[in-house]
Amino acid sequence: MIKAKNIYKSFGELEVLSGLSFEVQQGEVISIIGPSGSGKSTLLRSLIGLEKIDSGELYIEGVSVKESGKKAYEKMGMVFQGFNLFPHKTVMDNLIEAPIVVKGEKKAKVKKRAVKLLKKVGLYDKKDSYPVQLSGGQKQRVAIARALAMEPDIMLFDEPTSSLDPELVGEVLTVIRDLAAENITMLVVTHEMGFARDVSDRVIFMDHGEIVSDTIPEKIFVSPESERIQSFLTKILSQNDSSH
Amino acid sequence: MFDYIINVSGYILEGSLITFQLYLVTAIFSVILGIAGALGKISKIPLLESILSFYTWIFRGTPLLLQLFFAYYGLPVLGITLEPFPAAALTFIVNYGAYFTEIFRGGIESIDEGQYEAAKVLGMNYKQTMSRIIIPQTVKRVLPATSNEAINLVKDSALVAVIGLGDLLRAAKVAVTRDFSIIPFIIAAVFYLVISSVIVTVFRKLEKKYSVYE
Repeated sequence: MIKAKNIYKSFGELEVLSGLSFEVQQGEVISIIGPSGSGKSTLLRSLIGLEKIDSGELYIEGVSVKESGKKAYEKMGMVFQGFNLFPHKTVMDNLIEAPIVVKGEKKAKVKKRAVKLLKKVGLYDKKDSYPVQLSGGQKQRVAIARALAMEPDIMLFDEPTSSLDPELVGEVLTVIRDLAAENITMLVVTHEMGFARDVSDRVIFMDHGEIVSDTIPEKIFVSPESERIQSFLTKILSQNDSSH
Repeated sequence: MFDYIINVSGYILEGSLITFQLYLVTAIFSVILGIAGALGKISKIPLLESILSFYTWIFRGTPLLLQLFFAYYGLPVLGITLEPFPAAALTFIVNYGAYFTEIFRGGIESIDEGQYEAAKVLGMNYKQTMSRIIIPQTVKRVLPATSNEAINLVKDSALVAVIGLGDLLRAAKVAVTRDFSIIPFIIAAVFYLVISSVIVTVFRKLEKKYSVYE
């Protein structure tokens, strides 16, 4: 589904991705964890073309990004930390805009799909609201539905709950959990360790632009081999305790 | 007295026809020029940015009256002779276009980077992103500044009297001189106030309409 080989990326002097390689299979749910500044978000953004990689090879569903450019990205949807809903459009219009404009689909057909998606994320009654009228959790659920409206094969989540108040995290994670059960391929950059442990097929631990570990959740959470992982987990778990 | 007011009002109203025409032509084309200029300024094409910066520097940094004189009295020296109305319209369009370029550029740049990224990951190209996501949001943000310019334009339009264009103000002045009465000036002032008030009302309605989403 995704194949990354030796990905490098620098911002000026600062190298943020230092030769990453990994593969993602159809239907896999992968959590990407690690300290701030470890390159998690940059990796995700590189996969969908928001950042241009300096070198390395990237294949999406067997298609090289280098050769086909934008076409390769069409298979992916992305959910941002800051939601990035279109504030001048209603919830419904946020969902149907891209399928109509980009894919040229018929409005009636897209609307039907949008209704289903809004019901799925529990926000059908908000279809005529503007984003400003929604809570953070609701905004993020709309953003997920908007990405799904394009019918992507792969969903990327960039810290989807990091800007939410603690009591709103649950509703968003529930939606993502439900998606995981539906066999959609997903990459989730997250600080929610409980989510990473319970939902992922694999967990990638990144530090200083490198993949330190890429394995099943148990290996990371139950018996972490690397000291870097141990110290990260100790730190983040104590943070979570004190914030709750 | 009443008859005189009606009479002079009719005369000034005729003059205001030119004012309206100039207003309409300037409003339409300077906004178009402003949008194009703003898009050029954010295009990240260095040459285009430099040319546009030079353009806004000149036209925002010199008096409109000087520009008007230049178009009407100056260009003929260079072999380009314009009738009063085209000279006035050209000057106003280019002058207001410079202001709108800066207003719209500021508006576009105030839109969060995340909006571009959201549009991009949904597969939208530059044109779709600008026309459907960025510019509609910009409209709301530039409305207050645009409203100011729209009112300035009403008043600035009176400048064309100096190149002999028979506008609202010139008609009033002719009547004042002819009848040795101050009433035409008062009538002209009322006309300007009415036009300005209509514009203020229109913009207030627009701002209200756009406030639903913020």
